[in-house]
Amino acid sequence: MSASPGVTLGAGRAARKTSAGNLNPFASSRRGRILPWLGIAPGLLLFVVFSLVPAVTVIFLSFTDISGIPGVPWRWIGLDNYTRFFVSGSTTANFAIVSRTLIFAFSVTIILNALALVFAVLLNNRIRGANIYRAIIFMPVVLGVTVVGLIWSLIFNPTGGPAASLWGLFGSSSAFLGDPRLAFSLIIFVQIWMSLGYSMMIYHAGLMAIPSDLYEAAIVDGATVIQRFRHVTIPMIASSTTVNVLISIVGSLQTYQIIFVLTGDRPTTSVLAMQIFSLGFGGSSEQGYAAAISMIQFVLISAITLVALRYLRKKETQL
Amino acid sequence: MTVQDKPRVVRYTLNSGLRGESPVMQHRRRKPITGGRLLNYALVVGLAGLYVFPLLYLLNTALKQPAEFIRDPSGLTPGFALQNFVDAWQKGGFGGLILNSVVYAFVCAGASTALSLLIAFPVARGYVRGSKVIAVLFVLSLFLPNVIITQFQLILQLGLYNSRIGYMLLLTSGLGIGPLLIISYLRSLPKELDEAAAMDGCGYFRYLWTFVVPLCKPVLTTVFILQTIAVWNDIIGATIYLSSPQLKTISQGLFAFHGQNGNNEWALLAAATLIVAAPLILVYLIFQRFFVSGALSGSLK
Repeated sequence: MSASPGVTLGAGRAARKTSAGNLNPFASSRRGRILPWLGIAPGLLLFVVFSLVPAVTVIFLSFTDISGIPGVPWRWIGLDNYTRFFVSGSTTANFAIVSRTLIFAFSVTIILNALALVFAVLLNNRIRGANIYRAIIFMPVVLGVTVVGLIWSLIFNPTGGPAASLWGLFGSSSAFLGDPRLAFSLIIFVQIWMSLGYSMMIYHAGLMAIPSDLYEAAIVDGATVIQRFRHVTIPMIASSTTVNVLISIVGSLQTYQIIFVLTGDRPTTSVLAMQIFSLGFGGSSEQGYAAAISMIQFVLISAITLVALRYLRKKETQL
Repeated sequence: MTVQDKPRVVRYTLNSGLRGESPVMQHRRRKPITGGRLLNYALVVGLAGLYVFPLLYLLNTALKQPAEFIRDPSGLTPGFALQNFVDAWQKGGFGGLILNSVVYAFVCAGASTALSLLIAFPVARGYVRGSKVIAVLFVLSLFLPNVIITQFQLILQLGLYNSRIGYMLLLTSGLGIGPLLIISYLRSLPKELDEAAAMDGCGYFRYLWTFVVPLCKPVLTTVFILQTIAVWNDIIGATIYLSSPQLKTISQGLFAFHGQNGNNEWALLAAATLIVAAPLILVYLIFQRFFVSGALSGSLK
């Protein structure tokens, strides 16, 4: 520090470069140092303006009675939106929606992961044409929610659709998606059908990384198929399980597109995310209230994700 | 069910598909055709059937005359009523819708792939300060609150409601896992290449364009395809932001077609669904390996 100013400046620059850990070989000139930022700027700006800022400002809108109609005045109303949801509004219906959101998320997560793991293992068993099966099961991920929704509406067509014929074999009949008691289960089924390929792919990647020596050793020790699955496969794919379960939980707590396409917002099929959409963009356009529900949903997702993450990490280290 | 005590003969005759494998491999993992193995096949084929059947049924419905569908909805089609596709195309106005969706998909996916690379390269290399912060921002963005309300207010304030520009800006800004996928791919690209190029006086952007883009082709293709599919299939964003008929997308058109024609016009509706799904299926068949690698690298975050 006691050296001449020129040396200090040079040392400072060197220190800055090492503290960044990486010397940019293109940064021989001032221009060279600016160029990477020039590249980053447009994308980052778009991302910050249209994704990050909206995510942070939801909380402010949740304290207002803003509507989606331009020009209509709005005001701050404090916690009114939250008391409306929990205390003064149609609380019974709201709690039904929260519990339905949880039922949806947990049943999708559990069934989806169990099926995905089992079928990933089955397809790893030297099945002929395994890649073709995987490709077929992955297809709905590509087709998207509108096409998938319409395909299943066609299958569940109550007048003479294949599901109706199947029900008919057992002397029964149903309105399927029109049946308030059945519709939500069918939505869960379609959601699982649609996501299975993706989850399976993640488990498949995990399975590929297991060294086959472990299975040989287990066979030598006389382990049965079930024992090998329990004591070799499960512990070895723990990190894939963590990723998969987290993706499923967060995804299924946020999703409502399949509900939107299959039944629309109905009292018997609605979840929190569906409510946000229909309150914000339905006839009443209560966007302040919808923002409050977004915050409630966010807190719920964060809490469940953190608990799940802690539990899964603990399991991972135990195994 | 023990593995060892089944007769070998059965195994060799039924395992003929594995003839190419060395005896060592066969010894390593004994998988004789047993009851368990048949069950394994049965389950897998059954599951695949659960995916193939709905698509075939859709095709079958699309090929029926509307009157035939009403008479016998689930039976096999007696002929090929290709007229359904023409009728659906005209009734649903799919020509204009497809054009809109193609423009949205290519512009948005192209722009967001390019922007993702421009962010990912210096961040992966640590060439800018705050690289870690930027990477963390993108990971966090996957867990942030639902933004549809605030995004709508923003677009309203900017006067971009019901405009192509507004809709495309939103879809482009949803970079999602794009930068993350490219960052993880770039780790396999040697840094010495950057140094050599810089030494030879190659400029930053020219280096990105002439070296990094060709070397990152697989991951860039994956990101591009994932974005294209996301735009093509977007139903909520289009419903919220696009109200003029001339701006609407194909998914929106298909959904509206369902709303108008309900459960009575399934022959036409099935044809319409196939019109929307056909490009996706085609892209999927051609680029299948990129989908798989995309799904996998997404899981390695």
